[in-house]
Amino acid sequence: MKPSTRLLLIVVIQTLVLTGMIAKRQWTLATGTPVVLETQPIDPRSLFRGDYVTFNYDISRLRLDELDGDDEFRQHDTIYVVLAPGEPFWRARAVYREAPAGQLALRGRVQYVSEHWWNAETQSSEEVRHVSVRYGIEDYFVPEGEGRVLERPVAGEEISLRVAVDRFGNGAIQALLINGVERYRETLF
Amino acid sequence: MSFKKQLQQRLPHWIEQGWVSADNAAHILNDAAASERHGPRYLALAFSLLGVILIGSGIITFFAANWVAMPKLLKLAVLFCALWGSYALAGLCERRAMPLLATAFLLLGVILFGSNIMLIAQIYHISAHYPDGVLVWALGGVLTGWLMRSQPALVAGLGLGVLWTGLESQGFGREVHWPFLLFLGLSLWPVMQQRWRIALHIALIGLLLWSWFSFLAMSGWGRGSGAELYLVQVYFLAYLALFIGGMLLHGHDGWQNLAHVLQRYAAFAALGCLYLLTFPQLLRHDRGGSGMWWLATLLALLLVVALAVWHYRRSSAGVRPPFLNWGLGLLVAVMVLLLVNLAAERQAASTLALLFNLAYFAGLLWLLQAAVHLENRALVNMAFFFFAITLLARYFDTFWSLMDRSLFFMGGGLLLLGGGYWLERQRRRLTRQISGQREVGA
Repeated sequence: MKPSTRLLLIVVIQTLVLTGMIAKRQWTLATGTPVVLETQPIDPRSLFRGDYVTFNYDISRLRLDELDGDDEFRQHDTIYVVLAPGEPFWRARAVYREAPAGQLALRGRVQYVSEHWWNAETQSSEEVRHVSVRYGIEDYFVPEGEGRVLERPVAGEEISLRVAVDRFGNGAIQALLINGVERYRETLF
Repeated sequence: MSFKKQLQQRLPHWIEQGWVSADNAAHILNDAAASERHGPRYLALAFSLLGVILIGSGIITFFAANWVAMPKLLKLAVLFCALWGSYALAGLCERRAMPLLATAFLLLGVILFGSNIMLIAQIYHISAHYPDGVLVWALGGVLTGWLMRSQPALVAGLGLGVLWTGLESQGFGREVHWPFLLFLGLSLWPVMQQRWRIALHIALIGLLLWSWFSFLAMSGWGRGSGAELYLVQVYFLAYLALFIGGMLLHGHDGWQNLAHVLQRYAAFAALGCLYLLTFPQLLRHDRGGSGMWWLATLLALLLVVALAVWHYRRSSAGVRPPFLNWGLGLLVAVMVLLLVNLAAERQAASTLALLFNLAYFAGLLWLLQAAVHLENRALVNMAFFFFAITLLARYFDTFWSLMDRSLFFMGGGLLLLGGGYWLERQRRRLTRQISGQREVGA
């Protein structure tokens, strides 16, 4: 193979990888079912440039005793969280190790399994088996300086996210909502 | 003073003595001059790489400052054009016979590929398991290095691969990150094909780090089952097998340089493991491990024996150096000791430690002989280093509780001064011998 052909091959492969990242995300955004998830923004940090906000979803910590499906999970396991519509937010209904057929499920990865649950209302620890899950939709990049604004919403402001969930369980943030009104919306270009 | 200048000064004397003819002297000077033209090659490469990296950083920083104001499409256009541009320039430089600059632009391409992964992830809010991004970047580097025969690109890929396994093992608490071995195997193919020494150094450093991460993970398997003890034995055997592999490689013309690198890292890890086995504290662990450990040890033993026999049979009896004969005997003794150690009671720890110490010091002597035969100076230095630290460790173990403190420190000081002097003399003698052998060989 000539050097120029080999170089072209590298360019094609690397370009395909990068466009594949975009296409996969765009496919999820375009074909996924929109669900609105309750969240708390935490920990905005300055990264390469701009800010990003890390979201802690209501479904980021799941009590297994309150959910249908499987009970046995270990760290790093893939988990499918079946979502059911609610008003105004979608809620977790069941968790499975395999993708459940015919149900809308968001795929995540178990970060850890714990036997103790901190009850914020009673300010006490309860013996409840729960899992902490990461879905790959936790970080949201915003223009520089706006991360801190989102971290500390003014009184009465409620932040939520509209997430598209495709048939493979992949999630992608479609829009960031403040009090149910779109603040940022994702577009292809 | 440069080599050419030294020759210019000394050649007239050699011609006068009749050692070199005037014609040959001219040829020698021409050859030295030609070598010097290639001499600053690495410097030029280093400057080219640095220059290109600075330009790349400048471009990225410029766009970073104006990033927010740019629409998505423009951001993507910048990212892709930068990537394609660097590879296009690499191709152009290659065509115009500027290989150093071509290498530099290839490396820039690899860097931009990685920054593009991160920036596209940022633009589209992709935050899934980020070590996967590092893996893709590493594979991009290895692909570039392999297809374009560029060692810097491959070194970058290997370095990123090491970062990937570090993130997976330490950042995400993976038990044992086996996929790294697959990555390493893939990356080693071009390294061996092109006989790249620097890349082999990085690959072996990566292997050592992975071994350490895996040791940390596996030593926790089955508390109280003596996993650390079994692991040290298996690691020792695995790295011994790698060392013998290096000896086999050394026997092939043109592979000696790579073999030296391989032997160096393998000997370091194997000696480190054997050093740990000389401590009775480790040998006092309970042998409550499962059959899995026995199986792993036996498989590693079989591998070592098979490689050793293969190496032994490759040299005919007439030309076989004596160290190989007694080395095989030592190997058998160590194998038996390892097997006995698997089945031994913890009460036998002191006796076993004594036997391991004997095997260890015999092993160091063997390594010195092997190093001289293999003309590997690094192995000589390493053997002396391990000899010195073990001597000190044994001094502390033995005399700390037996001697008065002041006597203990004075004795230690004398041991360090006298022993250090003697060891350094011996080390210099052996390294001179190796240099002499090399000069004769050349």
